[in-house]
Amino acid sequence: MKRRLIALALAAVMVLSAAACGKGGSKGKTKLEMWCIATESDSNRKSYELAIADVTAAHPEIDFTWESFENQSYKTKIKAAVAADEMPDIFFTWACAFLGDFVDAGRVYCLDEEYKNWSKELDVKMLTNSTYNGKHYGVPTTMNIVGLFANMDILKQVGYTEVPGTYKEFIECCDKLIKAGYIPFGCAGKETWCVTEYLESVIEKSAGAEVLNDIFLGKSTWNNKDVADAVDTFQAMVTKGYFDPNGMALGNDEVKANFMKGKYAFYMNGTWNCADFAKNAEFFPKVKVAEFPVINADKSQLGQLIGGPSDTLAVAKSSKNAKTAAAFAFELGKEICHYGYLDGCGLPAWTPYYDTSSVNALTRSVADIVANSNFMVLFGDTAQSADSANIYLSYVEKVYGCQIDGKGFIAGLAKDIK
Amino acid sequence: MNENEIYKVKKTNPIIKPIIYTLLTIWTLINIFPIYWMFTFSLKDNAEIFGDNIAGLPKNWLWENYARAMTGGKMGIYFLNSIIISAATIVLTLIAAVMATYAMSRIVWKGRKIMNKFFMLGLTIPIHSAILPVYMTLKNLHQLNSYQALIIPYSAFSLAMAILICMGFMDDIPKELDEAAKIDGCGIWGTFFKVIVPLMTPALSTIGIYTFLQCWNELMFANVFNSRTQYKTLPAGINELFGTHTTDWGPVGAALVLATFPTLLVYVFLSKKIQSSFMAGAIKG
Amino acid sequence: MRTSDITSDKNRKKEIMKGLTIAAFLAPALLLFVGVLIAPIFMSTYYSFFDWNGMGSRTFVGFKNYAELFTSEDFKFGLALRNSLLLAVLSVFIQLPLSLALALALGKGIKGERGFLSVFFAPVLISTVVIGQLWLKIYNPDYGLLNAALRAIAVEKTNDPEGNVIVLKTLEDVLVKWSGDVKDVLWLGNQKIALGAAFVPILWQYVGYHMLLMYAGVKGVPVDLREAAMLDGASAGQVNRYIVLPYIKPIIKISVIFAVTGSLKSFDLIYVLTNGGPFHSTEVPSTLMISLMFLRNRYGMGSTIAVILIILCFAFALLIGAAFRKED
Repeated sequence: MKRRLIALALAAVMVLSAAACGKGGSKGKTKLEMWCIATESDSNRKSYELAIADVTAAHPEIDFTWESFENQSYKTKIKAAVAADEMPDIFFTWACAFLGDFVDAGRVYCLDEEYKNWSKELDVKMLTNSTYNGKHYGVPTTMNIVGLFANMDILKQVGYTEVPGTYKEFIECCDKLIKAGYIPFGCAGKETWCVTEYLESVIEKSAGAEVLNDIFLGKSTWNNKDVADAVDTFQAMVTKGYFDPNGMALGNDEVKANFMKGKYAFYMNGTWNCADFAKNAEFFPKVKVAEFPVINADKSQLGQLIGGPSDTLAVAKSSKNAKTAAAFAFELGKEICHYGYLDGCGLPAWTPYYDTSSVNALTRSVADIVANSNFMVLFGDTAQSADSANIYLSYVEKVYGCQIDGKGFIAGLAKDIK
Repeated sequence: MNENEIYKVKKTNPIIKPIIYTLLTIWTLINIFPIYWMFTFSLKDNAEIFGDNIAGLPKNWLWENYARAMTGGKMGIYFLNSIIISAATIVLTLIAAVMATYAMSRIVWKGRKIMNKFFMLGLTIPIHSAILPVYMTLKNLHQLNSYQALIIPYSAFSLAMAILICMGFMDDIPKELDEAAKIDGCGIWGTFFKVIVPLMTPALSTIGIYTFLQCWNELMFANVFNSRTQYKTLPAGINELFGTHTTDWGPVGAALVLATFPTLLVYVFLSKKIQSSFMAGAIKG
Repeated sequence: MRTSDITSDKNRKKEIMKGLTIAAFLAPALLLFVGVLIAPIFMSTYYSFFDWNGMGSRTFVGFKNYAELFTSEDFKFGLALRNSLLLAVLSVFIQLPLSLALALALGKGIKGERGFLSVFFAPVLISTVVIGQLWLKIYNPDYGLLNAALRAIAVEKTNDPEGNVIVLKTLEDVLVKWSGDVKDVLWLGNQKIALGAAFVPILWQYVGYHMLLMYAGVKGVPVDLREAAMLDGASAGQVNRYIVLPYIKPIIKISVIFAVTGSLKSFDLIYVLTNGGPFHSTEVPSTLMISLMFLRNRYGMGSTIAVILIILCFAFALLIGAAFRKED
């Protein structure tokens, strides 16, 4: 009897709350909904919260709601939503191929019209990755590059006060580190995107940024000897023991924790890590960031970087208030960029209009590197279409695990990627 | 009692007993460890979790991890949602299963065996393969982002097992009772409500518990079919604590404890009931 | 003539009423079942004939997806299938015997029976995320419990060339050498052992579940049957072999079906532990399906795997049923 009562009570609660939820929302206001991946423990959470507070305060006529999801499950979720044409008005997306599929499916609202109002603050170059057939579909927020982070405490042990600037010195430094019993690099083999942070830099600095970029964008094939040689260079670093052999079984969280504990001298990863490093008062004074040195000066030069604006907000074509949503997305993107930069989560895609002196020193050195850059190749797993990117990642894993060499890498990719 | 003692012919080797106990104790430790680990991990910071002290007791007991996991009282909402969705799923599964079983076990008609086999297909379908089709269907019915969005799929996926269990129980109810009811003037419906349903109560708890286990920890559907905080379940909510480039593991651990301990507590108090339900389900099935 | 007309009319009416009643009783279950389970099977089958990214337009390709799935090296479907079949074999020949042993030990009625039973069943209730995270920490090469324990066990003492100093060889050193790793054993990062390492938690978590099913069966063996055998001079082992086992055979059959179909469908723990890596060595059909559908945007190909999985699960369920029937 008791059980039945409980069941009845629960059923009643359910019906009541379902009814109550149906009525929500205030009259006369324009409703806008947003999905993003700024979850509670994401480094971007704070900038999203602050930006949303600002923008909603400035627009009392808009009834704005937002939800955040974990990265991996968000990919499943947003794809299912696009397939069913059930996206929220504004949604977070990665630029290039990820958004490109949605654009191809005809689900994304074109932002050309709205961009005219913001072109002074947002350089058109920043829209390259979210432009398809000459039309703009995304609002970039922050941008990030791959940085070579160094634990200066460890480098001091082998006699360096700066990160070595040339490739020769860099290799000498690594050899000295090994001799002294330190592990030069930490890299998470379980998450192959972490391996690409190293490999892509090596390829870019050996074969040149343009070559790599053309390959990623499908303008030329993987069948390129320079790439094969660069892959061999990278693999030589692995076989010489520059990388933590246990890395193959570690995830990025674990590798990063190891780096901050002083297990590795270098850690190559996205510059979004600056925010985390800056938060750790004990570790922060030890860390410096630099650009990966040039390997082949004939083909590459300093200033060629991996990275670019990828975090993007887009507007659904199916939105009832697409025009309002577009304006709102631009304003929000600008503010997320503002607070994200001040927090050290990334570099501004938008021209800063505020005092940037409070930005942490690490992020500021990244900004200097970017200011001197002349070519940026977007991360390979973002730049290529979903299918190609995953084929690419599985070959990169094989390179890291020394299952294939440079020749095998280019031959395999040229064969498998259509 | 005495008789048994006298007639016992072979005595078990005295060494065997201690060996069995040792093995059982080892297996006990292996099975208790995760619970201990989860609890201590929820009170540590990242440095301890990642290497300084994985298995030991926390150096500083970080109770604030729990406060952080509870931010904004969202865990409370998720918890309530999980309970509402599980409860409704159980009710719906029970109604559908008992009715269908009645039609297939008590009413004689051609094709009832085949119908039963048809339902048993459900035991073999991987839930993940249905995500996009179910999503599309829910969308067309305008049922996304609601409690139903999970209640309906969960019930459907629990149905096969529920019918299997029900069949076993219902076959045990003597057919004479039906006939007696018929003589008393009960129709099919009357027999169902006055005779069958009251006698099926033990099966109901079995199915209820089985169904509960099915939906309490489910993540994939929970994440894709519901987008609003007001409808999110515990697993989807916990998943939200993971960040892209940063993850504070302590609060995640705390959330895991908050999600698991109620089940475990209920289990400790009801273990006999739960076990017997499982057993009943198995034997009858 | 007239009267029989009336009765047949009545009968027909009765038949129709009965049909309607049956339909009414089946309606809720059928609606749920067909709407949520059967319709998606048909939709998946339909999608499996298309080259489709799940969003844009689709192109009909006939059976090309099926052919490509089995022939292309890129997808590793053969490997995934082999892995899940291996898991099925392991669960039948390791997990179930272990469950059976526990069930027999507890079913005899020993002290603390209830306590043991409760503890052994507990892992079934803990969410996969927790179990997965726990085992990740156990397998961690640097500070994982497993490697730490192996480091502590010395298996060999040898004198070094100079004579005096004793070089200790730990179990970990031996395993490192055997597995071909460099410094520590990479349980989930070495393709030779990752599959086995990933299977252990899967097998472990559900031992309690099968144990409980079998325990129920053991408890159900009539006491007089046992006693009669004992009187005839049967040992404990013989009682188990000739009385208990035949009695609980139907339960074992169900356990086997669950273990095999469960293995073919396994997803959660593999996803958390290795997500199919390293080098796809731990890939199972479900992880492959999810990555094809939602990471590689090959929705048609993912649907093809779904269809094959459903067919396989169903075929195995029938096969096992038939095998048990033949033995009777």
